Amino acid sequence: MAYIIGLRCRECGKEYPQKGVHVCEVCFGPLEVQYDYTRMKGKVTRESIERGPRSLWRYRDLLPINGEPRAGLYSGYTPLRRAHHLEKILNVRELYIKDDSANYPTWSYKERVVSVAITKALELGYHTVGCASTGNLANSVAAHAAVAGMKAFVMIPHDLEQGKVLGSLIFGPTMVRIQGNYDDVNRLCSEIADKYKWAIVNVNLRPFYTEGAKTFGYEIAEQLGWKFPQHTVCPTAGGTILPKIHKAYQELIDLGLVENTAPKIYSAQAAGCNPVVEAIRAGRDLIKPQKPKTIAKSIAIGNPADGFYVVQAVRQSGGWAMDATDPEIIDAIKLLARAEGIWTEPAGGTTLAATIKLIESGRIPRDESICVCITGNGLKTTEVVADQLAMPTSIPPKLEAFDAFIAELDNTGGTRELEPLTT
Amino acid sequence: MTTGETIKKRVWLTFGSRRMVETPALWRMARKFPDVSFDIRQASVTAEIGIMAVLLEGPQPQVQAAMAFLQEQGVTVEPIEKSVVEG
Repeated sequence: MAYIIGLRCRECGKEYPQKGVHVCEVCFGPLEVQYDYTRMKGKVTRESIERGPRSLWRYRDLLPINGEPRAGLYSGYTPLRRAHHLEKILNVRELYIKDDSANYPTWSYKERVVSVAITKALELGYHTVGCASTGNLANSVAAHAAVAGMKAFVMIPHDLEQGKVLGSLIFGPTMVRIQGNYDDVNRLCSEIADKYKWAIVNVNLRPFYTEGAKTFGYEIAEQLGWKFPQHTVCPTAGGTILPKIHKAYQELIDLGLVENTAPKIYSAQAAGCNPVVEAIRAGRDLIKPQKPKTIAKSIAIGNPADGFYVVQAVRQSGGWAMDATDPEIIDAIKLLARAEGIWTEPAGGTTLAATIKLIESGRIPRDESICVCITGNGLKTTEVVADQLAMPTSIPPKLEAFDAFIAELDNTGGTRELEPLTT
Repeated sequence: MTTGETIKKRVWLTFGSRRMVETPALWRMARKFPDVSFDIRQASVTAEIGIMAVLLEGPQPQVQAAMAFLQEQGVTVEPIEKSVVEG
C-alpha cells in the first residue's frame, strides 16, 4: 500500500505534487517527501515488515513509491555484525558494524538511494537516468539502470582514474568526461539537470532518492531486535544518509515499532574535508564551504547539499561530530580488515577512526551499545592501502626454503603478530 | 545596451568570513551590472558567515560576468543544488 502524499518544502512548507522537482520555487529550500503516518498506524507493523522480502523493499510502505519496486530487488538487508574482536581491542562492551560494503550489486550504500530513485523515475515516466559521480554513485546508477532497461548518462571529471571509470563503464552507460576543475564540473551538471528532462537521481529526483537512505536506519533497528544502538556513527559527504537515519529512527518511534531510547547519532568526516564537523564544533548552523584535501574521496564534498540538516539531526539526537586524519583513516581500514574481516573504503575508515576518537575522548561511553556505519567496499580503492602493505616474501619452491622463512618469522616475532583473538 | 538571451540563475552565495560579511559585494555587483537583477529568496547572516539563496536574472553574458565578479570579491557562488558530484 502506498502512503506517500506528495512533497513539501522543508523551509517554507509549500506543498508540491509528486514530480521531478527538488527545490522550492519560492524559497529555493529542499523538498521532502510527505507520508500519511496516521493511515500507517496499525497497518505498518513489525510483522508486516518481517513478512517482506530480504531486501530494502521490506520497508516499501515507508518509501516514496506508488507501485511495485522496479530496481534493487536484491539490494539492502546487509549484515549487522557484532564486532567481538573490535570490542576487545577498543575496550567497549557492545559494538556493531552495519556493513554496506556487502550491498549488492555494486557494494555500497548507494544501492539504497538509487533503487528508490530509479523505481520513482520509471513511475514518473522517465526513460533516462543520470548522475555526476566519481565512484559509488556512478557504479550503482549504471548497474541499476541496466537492470531496469533505462538509458544512463554518467558525468565524470576528465581526469578520473581508469579503474574508477571501468567500474561504471562495464554496465554500458553513456559516460562523459568533463574538462575543468571540480567547480566547473559541478556547475555544468546542475545546468544539465536543469535543461535536459532526465532523472538526475541526486538532483531533480533528490527528495525520493534520499528517502532510500532511511532503509539503512530501519535495518539497524530491526536487526538489533527492534531496538536502537545507543550511539550510531555515520560518515558525512553530501549529508544524505545521516539525517535519513535520524528520520528512520524517528518514524519507527512514532509508529510504535521501537521504544524511544534516545539514540544519539554522530557525524564522521575526514580532517581534510570537515565542514560539518567544524560547524558542529563551533556551534554554528551554517556550513562554511571547504576545498577538500583527503584520501577519503567518496566523502570529500566541500559544501554538502544537506550539511545544514546533518547539523540539525546530530544536535536533536544529542550526538556529536569527529574528524580523522588520513593516517588515522588508513590505520582504521587496516584495523577493521584484520579484526573483523571487512575491507572498507576510506569513508568506512573515517567512520571507524572517528568512532575510536569519540570513545577515547569520552563522548561515547565504553559500556553503551555502538553501531559503526560502513558504507562502501575497499576493493574499489586499492590504491589507498597499496603502499601501506609489504609485498609477500618470495621463496624458491623448496620445503627447506619455507622452513627457513618460518624460522625467520619466529625470530622476528612475525608469527605472533596476528594471534587469534578469543571471544 | 544589453545583448544575449535572458537567463535565470538560482545560486547560493556564501560570505564565509567576518570580512566578507562586512563587504557590500551585492551592492557592488548591482552597481557594476545594472542589467542583472537579484532577488533574495532566503538568507541567514551572522557576524561570521552569511548565506543567501538568490535568483539572478538578466542577459546571459552579464549574469555570468556578475557571478564571476562576486567570486572575485571573495563570495562563494554555487548552484542551488550545491555539490551534485558525489563519490
